[in-house]
Amino acid sequence: MLYVLLFIPLLPALYALRARETRWLAGSAAAGAVLSLGLSLLAQNQAAGPLRLDGVGLFYLLLTDLLFALVALYAGAYFQASQDREAWRFYAAGNLFLFAMHGAYLAHNLGLLWIFVEGSTLASALLVYHRGGARALEATWKYLMLGSVGIALGLIGVILVYALLGGATLDWQMARELVRAANPAQLKLAFAFLLVGFGTKVGLFPLQAWLPDAHSEAPSPASALLSGTLLNVAFYALLRYAALLGSAGLFGFAAGFLQSFGLASLLAAGLFLFAQKDYKRLLAYSSMEHMGLAIYALGLGIPWLAMLHTLFHSLAKTAAFLSAGNLLLAYQSKLIARVGAVYRAWPATAGLLVLSLLSLAGLPPFGLFYTEFQALFRSSPLAMGLYLLGLLGVFAGLLWPLSRMVFGEGPGMSLGGLPRIRALVVVPAALVGLALILGLFPPTGVVEHLAEVLSWKL
Amino acid sequence: MVGRKSLDALIRLYALQNVLLALLAFGLAQGEWPLVLAGLVLLLLKGVLIPRYLFWLLERLGVSHEVESYLSIPLSLLLGGVLVGIGLRVGSSFVLEGAQLPEAVPVALSLILLGMLSMASRKKAVTQVMGFLGLENGVFLLALAETHGLPLFIELGVALDAFAAVVLAGVLIFRIRTTFGHIDTARMRDLKG
Repeated sequence: MLYVLLFIPLLPALYALRARETRWLAGSAAAGAVLSLGLSLLAQNQAAGPLRLDGVGLFYLLLTDLLFALVALYAGAYFQASQDREAWRFYAAGNLFLFAMHGAYLAHNLGLLWIFVEGSTLASALLVYHRGGARALEATWKYLMLGSVGIALGLIGVILVYALLGGATLDWQMARELVRAANPAQLKLAFAFLLVGFGTKVGLFPLQAWLPDAHSEAPSPASALLSGTLLNVAFYALLRYAALLGSAGLFGFAAGFLQSFGLASLLAAGLFLFAQKDYKRLLAYSSMEHMGLAIYALGLGIPWLAMLHTLFHSLAKTAAFLSAGNLLLAYQSKLIARVGAVYRAWPATAGLLVLSLLSLAGLPPFGLFYTEFQALFRSSPLAMGLYLLGLLGVFAGLLWPLSRMVFGEGPGMSLGGLPRIRALVVVPAALVGLALILGLFPPTGVVEHLAEVLSWKL
Repeated sequence: MVGRKSLDALIRLYALQNVLLALLAFGLAQGEWPLVLAGLVLLLLKGVLIPRYLFWLLERLGVSHEVESYLSIPLSLLLGGVLVGIGLRVGSSFVLEGAQLPEAVPVALSLILLGMLSMASRKKAVTQVMGFLGLENGVFLLALAETHGLPLFIELGVALDAFAAVVLAGVLIFRIRTTFGHIDTARMRDLKG
């Protein structure tokens, strides 16, 4: 069953190489994702060879499949509206990407996890490239090179862990038993490599150089996938390794690193936000901020809070990138200065943009407010001050351009050819609605239960 | 690898390095078939396929086979020497208990650092790929030295990933050539901040 689940996305990927009709492409990709959604619910706690689906894996697998299905539907409408005849590239690369994600969440072997994380980098490079052009090429090249070096450093960490376990196993569960006997100083060294390696893909400061370029040059549905699902997979790897260190009784060491990387990303993102002229880059830096916050929550030693944070972030950020896609369709420009008076031109998109950005800025009643408040509540006074400072910076950095775009003066151009395909609005609306409901009734109990496998406090 | 001026020599050097690595894997194998098999596949993939692909790529691109660097040759040799020194110096703290081949650990680290140096200092997209491959070999050597090498199917997956990355990079380099008319990454700087 797990193998079926693993290979499902390859079918629509193969289909995308043959078919050219956007509607069918979107349908097949969404159907594949929904099918795996159902299967993964049935397959919980099963194991087969190096694969196993435990609570944390299930959590991220469900989130990824859900987002992928919705983005696939949106992308169908998006590529139709932008009269892009190359939509099959998105679906072929996208399903390949989903395959790598499935692999990463199903793998219970740390080496296999690494292979699939690297695979997701390669597949998403294809997503970023899409149809090419000078800027997309530059972004893809930068992403491929930085991502590969980062992940190679991660591999050094994997090798060191394997050697520390006496070359016995790379199975995560068994590793957690064996790691107690490992040399602590060398385990710390291995973790440093792992943090830098996977941290490059999470987009932690100062390893984030590829992130804004790739997010802003990719077609909008691909940006949504990058931000909503790709960053999570590297974060998921860090969750596993943090738990491994916890089992060895070294969590205190990891916590310091995780917290300082998290806060540094938050503060840096707050500063970078003010310099942005491009609204997709704005959203990219906001991703860096939220991944930093998730890392910080992990550093506090509360994996379920970090998972909840990534859940809320993925929902809101996917909605935001899809709304930004609508802006790009309507205004044909990614510059904030070229966009104005959205509330008059396209009220539905304006509403979605406002709601998703308010959610990302961490306002109640959205979920990110809840998780940020929980994290703040458990911080030391110094960290609390920095955290609040960063949040304030991000708040202003996000909402000022938003008000400028939505309520500011329009550029005075006519938007006669506004695309009127319903999925362009319905999909982000569904995401915002879900974020709102989950924010009002945070599924804390469920996530806590799913995160139990990570627990290292006995 | 740092001081060479000709790309062809660089690729041949890389192929030779892989043959040596494979021989080392055979030497360490002591008749264990997974290691022998991994060595064979790596020999085929990295000693033959990747170098051939790179030669073919250079041929098709029609660019000069000269390495262009931000640094002069003496300077990059000097820097390379310093990095090797660092690799050898810190290498001892990377040697874990029960390492198979403790002597090779500092060498592996130096290879990794040199790979990074060539990725950072070279202008041509092809040479950056070469730097990455050198780095990757360093990681492979580290795995051989610290343990018996990673489990077979992991090792193969890693090699497959590296191969896919190189092929993808090759395709991108073609596109860079047609879009920009050159493959000089130093002149690709539209995206900032």
